[in-house]
Amino acid sequence: MNIAMALQSFFTELPSVTGYMYPNEYELHWSVLIVVYPYLTGLVAGAFILASLERVFNVKALQPVYRLSLLTALSFLLIAPLPLLAHLGHPERALEMFLTPHTASAMAMFGFVYAWYLMVVLLLEIWFDYRQHIVRWAKEKKGALKWFYSLLTLGSTDLSEKALAFDNKAGKIITIIGIPSAFLLHGYVGFIFGSVKANPWWSSVLMPIVFLFSAIVSGIALMLLVYMVSSMLRWKTINMPCVNKLAEFLFYAILVDFSLELLDFIQRLYESEESIHILSQMISSRLFISLIISQIILGTIVPLVGLGLARFGRMPDEMRRMIYLMAALLVQVGIFATRWNVVIGGQLFSKSLRGLTTYKLEMFGIEGLMTAIILMVMPFIILFVMTKLLPPWSEGEKDIPVPPKPHATQVGQEA
Amino acid sequence: MRKIPQQLIPLAVLFIVLLGVLVVARQLFVPKTFGDLGHYRATAVDEVAAQPAAYAGYRVCLDCHDDIYQRKQLSSHAGLACETCHGAAAAHATGESDQLPTVPRGRDHCQLCHGYNSARPTGFPQILSNMHNPGEACVKCHDSHSPRMAKGNGECSACHQMIANQKAVSSHMSLDCTDCHTVPIDHATQPRVVQALKPNSEETCGKCHARGSSAGAEVARIDMAEHGGRYLCWECHYPHLPEAKL
Ligand code: HEC
Ligand code: HEC
Ligand code: HEC
Ligand code: HEC
Ligand code: HEC
Ligand code: HEC
Ligand code: HEC
Ligand code: HEC
Repeated sequence: MNIAMALQSFFTELPSVTGYMYPNEYELHWSVLIVVYPYLTGLVAGAFILASLERVFNVKALQPVYRLSLLTALSFLLIAPLPLLAHLGHPERALEMFLTPHTASAMAMFGFVYAWYLMVVLLLEIWFDYRQHIVRWAKEKKGALKWFYSLLTLGSTDLSEKALAFDNKAGKIITIIGIPSAFLLHGYVGFIFGSVKANPWWSSVLMPIVFLFSAIVSGIALMLLVYMVSSMLRWKTINMPCVNKLAEFLFYAILVDFSLELLDFIQRLYESEESIHILSQMISSRLFISLIISQIILGTIVPLVGLGLARFGRMPDEMRRMIYLMAALLVQVGIFATRWNVVIGGQLFSKSLRGLTTYKLEMFGIEGLMTAIILMVMPFIILFVMTKLLPPWSEGEKDIPVPPKPHATQVGQEA
Repeated sequence: MRKIPQQLIPLAVLFIVLLGVLVVARQLFVPKTFGDLGHYRATAVDEVAAQPAAYAGYRVCLDCHDDIYQRKQLSSHAGLACETCHGAAAAHATGESDQLPTVPRGRDHCQLCHGYNSARPTGFPQILSNMHNPGEACVKCHDSHSPRMAKGNGECSACHQMIANQKAVSSHMSLDCTDCHTVPIDHATQPRVVQALKPNSEETCGKCHARGSSAGAEVARIDMAEHGGRYLCWECHYPHLPEAKL
């Protein structure tokens, strides 16, 4: 189908239902909030995996983003369940997952994966990593802050060399446990979709793996963004070796992720099950903008080319940073579109394989666009507060040199 | 003995407290009978069972309406329970209430099941409401407890009766089944062994509906290349009851 035709039909007609839908399929049950959820958990897993590169695999260039990644992962993890809760009719019942564990339900067991990741991996790792600073701050600060930090030490104020060495070792062990946990956390989200046998768009063993790699992609891109923007806001120079390394990892991660997705796609085409007709119809009509344009072209190919050129080509650092920033932004758009295509796409076609429906995004309802936006902004607010309480910045950062004002120099010369 | 690192003690305490909270919460909040029968509160079963039943089941109706039941069982509505059409009637059957069950005489009601819908099983008797005696109550012609038994003769309709019926009231009524289907003779005796073929090319339709075809002038012509786009003719027109104008 040619692009102009697809675009035209997309904007002019947008029929709500074409072909045959079962009555319970006209309206989508999983809204944009369920799109936000895997997007957020993906960022968590990605940011954490990035942090573990520095810690476990000793990629020294990434040192400036190590703690920032941990705090980012935590801020996003705290918000990640909210879209799910907002989607539930009875959010308070979510806790029953823990009270009456249901071992045969993938969704219910996910509560435990989540709790494990939050309590045993992220919080512990951050605590061990910051403990010596917390103890120091507890001594230095005044008033409420003093209390806050003292509480955070949990009474463990030993700063002897042996204790510090233990902190370091514990942190490392937790990171090692953390890598499979982060894989599990996001692989699991893919697993839940991948194991819906009745849905040909979801049911695929590759799903957990594709989810995982897209998580890594989004996490690295997020850290590239957060690091560059936070440095600029704090008027510090950006550590070029660090962003170069990030860009390099991002490049490879996108490459692997894209190959996996292509593999999945080709396999489906080749298998050519009875669903292939309706799925290709869906791709060329309902998902054209979010899949072909946003996910593949803007979210994958353009950043890939940009990163490749900027990382391996010759150009001034200014230009390079610009491109990294744009690429990271586009990757975020692309990964969000990926989640959208999975969650919304899986509900657009009828299980009769004979028709397509349309998703109408509401604006202000509890499951609407505003809620989604608020939920996606909240982690950044938490991150901001956290960087104030637990500054992750490395020592020895340089201020951006202020170009001397001509007037001021004159005055100086006169004096 | 090596000393336990100081950090581990508060952490251990914290985790034990959390675990304790979980245990206490389970004691407090998990209902007593939870898990006795399955992953739910066993007493919920009694609570649900104690709710009044709104439906009585068709056997109860036999005591008083046996005549209707007998008639219905001989018709093609044999598989439908009384309350499918008349709504919950337990109160009426036990004599608790003077209120009589609803009697669905409107056209809308029958169409819940008989309105044309491509997802229904092949051969299920379906009508297009605005073509099938519009404006008149279905019950004027059909006895809802014994709808007309479609009779069939002719070699295909002996087995494909519903399709033959549908075709008979359609604009394709003058066509033979074999105008479109290639049917080996033995299909009529061993249908599952010797398969009849369904059309696999749009040429089947094109031989009458294409611009240059030699069919009679009353047959509507279309541009085979443009009309219908990427879809097959029978993805839009049910060949045994083609619709184009209402
Ligand atoms: C105890 C005997 C009895 C039983 C059991 C019984 N009915 Fe009736 N039903 C009657 C009588 C008597 C009438 C006639 C009332 C009248 O015409 O005023 C009637 C009338 C009806 C009507 C016609 C209402 C109308 O407006 O004309 C329907 C429909 C009906 N019953 C359905 C049912 C169904 C369905 C059941 C089984 C769930 C059932 N009945 C069980 C005695 C019974
Ligand atoms: C397909 C839907 C359908 C089913 C199944 C059905 N009915 Fe009816 N019933 C009707 C309709 C429609 C009328 C109204 C007929 C009319 O007005 O001509 C009716 C009328 C009646 C009446 C009113 C008196 C009469 O004969 O007109 C009684 C009594 C009745 N049904 C009882 C039953 C019982 C008992 C059963 C189960 C054995 C049953 N029906 C099953 C649709 C149904
Ligand atoms: C004016 C009388 C009349 C009315 C009103 C009427 N029908 Fe029919 N209907 C018939 C006749 C006659 C046939 C048999 C046609 C044939 O087989 O060619 C028939 C056939 C049918 C069939 C069987 C089709 C098949 O493929 O076997 C169904 C189902 C049906 N009608 C349902 C309805 C429904 C539902 C309504 C009300 C919305 C209705 N009819 C109203 C006269 C009527
Ligand atoms: C709950 C679904 C349902 C409702 C409501 C219903 N029917 Fe049916 N009807 C059926 C089924 C099932 C058959 C049998 C189809 C078959 O044989 O494959 C049938 C068959 C028929 C037939 C074809 C009989 C034949 O032998 O070809 C007619 C005519 C018919 N119904 C008329 C009606 C009318 C008139 C009404 C409304 C009063 C009605 N039906 C309401 C389910 C329904
Ligand atoms: C003895 C009963 C009988 C007769 C007579 C009969 N068929 Fe069939 N037909 C069947 C059965 C049973 C099937 C289903 C076969 C299967 O699913 O394997 C069938 C299937 C078909 C199919 C569908 C094949 C498919 O791939 O789905 C067509 C078309 C068909 N028949 C056309 C005809 C035509 C046209 C005639 C008259 C020339 C005819 N049949 C006569 C019993 C019969
Ligand atoms: C105008 C051409 C045409 C005529 C006439 C025709 N058929 Fe068909 N028939 C088709 C087409 C096309 C299909 C395939 C529909 C599809 O695949 O969705 C089909 C499918 C079938 C099937 C498979 C089941 C189904 O509904 O998909 C059967 C059985 C069948 N026809 C029987 C008959 C019988 C019996 C007659 C004669 C009473 C007949 N056909 C007359 C075009 C025709
Ligand atoms: C043997 C010739 C012949 C073949 C083959 C044939 N048709 Fe027809 N078709 C007719 C005739 C005759 C009419 C009725 C014309 C009239 O009287 O308006 C008709 C009418 C139609 C109509 C118009 C119905 C209306 O309400 O005006 C459609 C749509 C249609 N056919 C579709 C098809 C499709 C789809 C196929 C292939 C599966 C097909 N036809 C194959 C002869 C044929
Ligand atoms: C995408 C759905 C679609 C497909 C596929 C399709 N049609 Fe149609 N057809 C329609 C609609 C809608 C109409 C009535 C509106 C119109 O006049 O275009 C129609 C009208 C017709 C008419 C009546 C034209 C008239 O002037 O009265 C015929 C004959 C016909 N189609 C045959 C076919 C044949 C043969 C094919 C396969 C080559 C086919 N159709 C494929 C949707 C479709």
